[in-house]
Amino acid sequence: MDDHTLPVTKNKMKNMSKHDKKLLKKQHRSIGTLLKHSATQPSTTPTKFLYVGNAGLGNGIQREQVFNLFSKYGQISDISTPVGKPYAFVSYTLVESAKDAMENLNGAVIACEESQAPNCSSGVNIYIAYVEPGSDVNSKNLKSELPEGLIILEEFVSEEEEQSLLAAIDWNDRTPDSAIGSLKHRKVKHYGYEFLYGINNVDLNCPLKDGIPSQCEQVLDRLIQGKYITSYPDQLTVNQYAPGQGIPPHIDTHSAFEDGLVSISLGCQVVMEFRHPSGNISPVLLPRRSAMVMTKESRYVWSHGITPRKFDIVPCSSNDPANSGLTLSKRETRTSLTFRKCLVGPCQCNYQAQCDSPRDTVNSLLDVKNEEADVLEEEHVHKVYEEIAGHFSATRHTPWPKVKSFVEDIAPGSILADIGCGNGKYLGINNSIGQFGCDRSSNLAGICLERGHQAFVCDALKVAMRDNSVDAAISIAVIHHFSTQARRVKAIEELARILQPKGRALVSVWAVEQKLHKKKSNYLKEIKQTNIQCEDSVNRQIDLKCGNQSQDKQMDDSQNDTDQVVKGQDDHNQGVKGQYDPNQGVQCQDGLTRGIMQQKNCINGENKDVSISTATGEKPYANVQSKSERTEKGESLSRIELKTHVNRTEFKSQDMFVPWHLKNKTREKKDNPVCSNEKVYHRYYHVFKQGELEELCRSVPSIAVKESYYDQGNWCVIFEKE
Amino acid sequence: MFFTKLLKMNLFTHNMLTSNIIKGVTKGYPLGIEATEVKTSEREFNPDFIGRMIPRLEWPAVVEGAKMLGQDAVPEEVPSDYETNEEFLKQAHRLLLEVTVQEGNLICPESGRKFPITNGIANMLLKEDET
Repeated sequence: MDDHTLPVTKNKMKNMSKHDKKLLKKQHRSIGTLLKHSATQPSTTPTKFLYVGNAGLGNGIQREQVFNLFSKYGQISDISTPVGKPYAFVSYTLVESAKDAMENLNGAVIACEESQAPNCSSGVNIYIAYVEPGSDVNSKNLKSELPEGLIILEEFVSEEEEQSLLAAIDWNDRTPDSAIGSLKHRKVKHYGYEFLYGINNVDLNCPLKDGIPSQCEQVLDRLIQGKYITSYPDQLTVNQYAPGQGIPPHIDTHSAFEDGLVSISLGCQVVMEFRHPSGNISPVLLPRRSAMVMTKESRYVWSHGITPRKFDIVPCSSNDPANSGLTLSKRETRTSLTFRKCLVGPCQCNYQAQCDSPRDTVNSLLDVKNEEADVLEEEHVHKVYEEIAGHFSATRHTPWPKVKSFVEDIAPGSILADIGCGNGKYLGINNSIGQFGCDRSSNLAGICLERGHQAFVCDALKVAMRDNSVDAAISIAVIHHFSTQARRVKAIEELARILQPKGRALVSVWAVEQKLHKKKSNYLKEIKQTNIQCEDSVNRQIDLKCGNQSQDKQMDDSQNDTDQVVKGQDDHNQGVKGQYDPNQGVQCQDGLTRGIMQQKNCINGENKDVSISTATGEKPYANVQSKSERTEKGESLSRIELKTHVNRTEFKSQDMFVPWHLKNKTREKKDNPVCSNEKVYHRYYHVFKQGELEELCRSVPSIAVKESYYDQGNWCVIFEKE
Repeated sequence: MFFTKLLKMNLFTHNMLTSNIIKGVTKGYPLGIEATEVKTSEREFNPDFIGRMIPRLEWPAVVEGAKMLGQDAVPEEVPSDYETNEEFLKQAHRLLLEVTVQEGNLICPESGRKFPITNGIANMLLKEDET
């Protein structure tokens, strides 16, 4: 440590007692910690600002403990406790107070709160140093910068109204329909709809007997008139907090409520902490009889919570402008009234990272013209399958049980067409019927022929088969590759057209909902192995020992799929059995030749949205773009933006790219074991919402849906031609 | 295991195919066949299966196709006792399943548009301006 940072010189040390020397040493060490963590500089002369080592949140010391200890020596203007750091900063109004504190508290013991630091029973010694004013020294002042969209309306409720509102809540209502609960940390009561903590949502089908009490009307009217909220709330949750109680940080479920959440504080003020995903914390004082309105970012992005404690540090409530310090405020019983408007339909916010509603980008983001769809599907469906056909086929050999039984149940002598047959895994299951398949990929059709099935190359939008020619048809994992509604309908129409009257078709598409009734689909359940760095192919959850050797075997597509144990049913994706290794140096070669939608960056190596943007890469999107590049037909697809799905996660939007990692057999495993020579392909998918497939079928007049079901992350219908 | 050894396009598939997906083509059936390589290979004969298939097929298209593939002994009509007529069933079996086109073209009877057959795979894809 440099000498100039020391508050005393070495000469001085000679005359010091052993205890003082020890103290000084520890003080120096403590300042070392400061220098390591913060830009704040120690001062050799006394200042108003004190660095207090070992008194940070990171030591399990609460802000009010620091306040209690230091407020004895003068008026404190600020206490800053940087998150997770082993120190705090105390600012006094006067230098004298700081000197006083230094004299009395350097080396003093501050008790740890056991709940915060279980291993620290006796407390820790604090070491103090004067510092220069700096950004860390100042706390995020209460009321200074509110999260975006947060509105605090002080004195919004009069004292009379406060009494009347509190009286309106009958905590002793014991009728069966009263939604009173005692949570771990507080008492709650609901009106309008019960807020169900298990799902963090309301059940719109089960309104409560009691709507919002009429005593609230005046308050709500004022909120509407003041344009703080736009729609009249229909749900009220009353929380009663005893001193020491709180509420864990949370964001109100996006899909549960509209924007504009109101919370009225009655009985006592409290400090509520808002936390931004970036790590920013903003403590917000909710004065007694105030209304807080959470809109925009503060409603959708920031979490909010109340730390369970008995005191809050708040600005001195005084009319004396000279008194700008902090004081401890003892919490009393606080009752909050949270008014919300239940949301019907999915959330439409712009904060997708925090949003639970899947994005229907079909009608908004992905609104492509038919010609654009041609290009999109050509590049991101047809060409991809043509390229990956061998690898794809090698990973798909187990028929889905329900499709298999549909095929098995077809009457002998019937004719079956598998439109989009892939490697033909449903052909040859029932040998009493005439059957053939077709696929857009000639390589896949070729694999069918090699396997002994009749197949030809054809587009599911223009099936080159005569009308009424087959008794049964299947379309498994095909229609989700069409990028417009019109094309998806057309695919169903084609199935209907080739069926003869009373003929039946089974259609299966990938579902948005990969968790239904709280059960995860096999797609999500697939085991994640951490000892593999690459993904392997899918649907064959190959023996999981997966050292490098067996891994190589897996990568070696189209070989050896006999010894592999098959689990799950997933015709869409590759199992991410490993984690992306940032050092993997994955090369992205889409093999695109038409010059559009080239993706130059590749996997970013982290467990988040894969960025394949050709632009700056700042956005977590995959930009399908071609700003300078145009298709042969001259139309630009630059405006289409699609996200890239992260394998084995829930879908964040309905339209996206799903990566396929094609391992190259000749990768240089010995020379460079982490360099896997793989190509990444991005397949376009439109995943279906519940009911969407049935709706598609309803738009085709000649057919009637006979059965529809959810099967392992797929929506399926069986329809009959009339 | 009946169908397991079937390879290359046969007249069973040909019977299903049409070119009416082309803009302006109304019927597009049956497709002409221009074969540069025809292969015949023996398949297991399953009279029940063939008997059941007969009513599901357009027999005149089988006849036309068979002739274009240079086959003789082609029954012009389906006999009324086809289900039990072993001789007919055997002929049908051969024509439908054993005779295959390795290389050649399928031809739209109305527009003359050719659909290539390569390695026994018929390619029925159209260009965008054809639909």
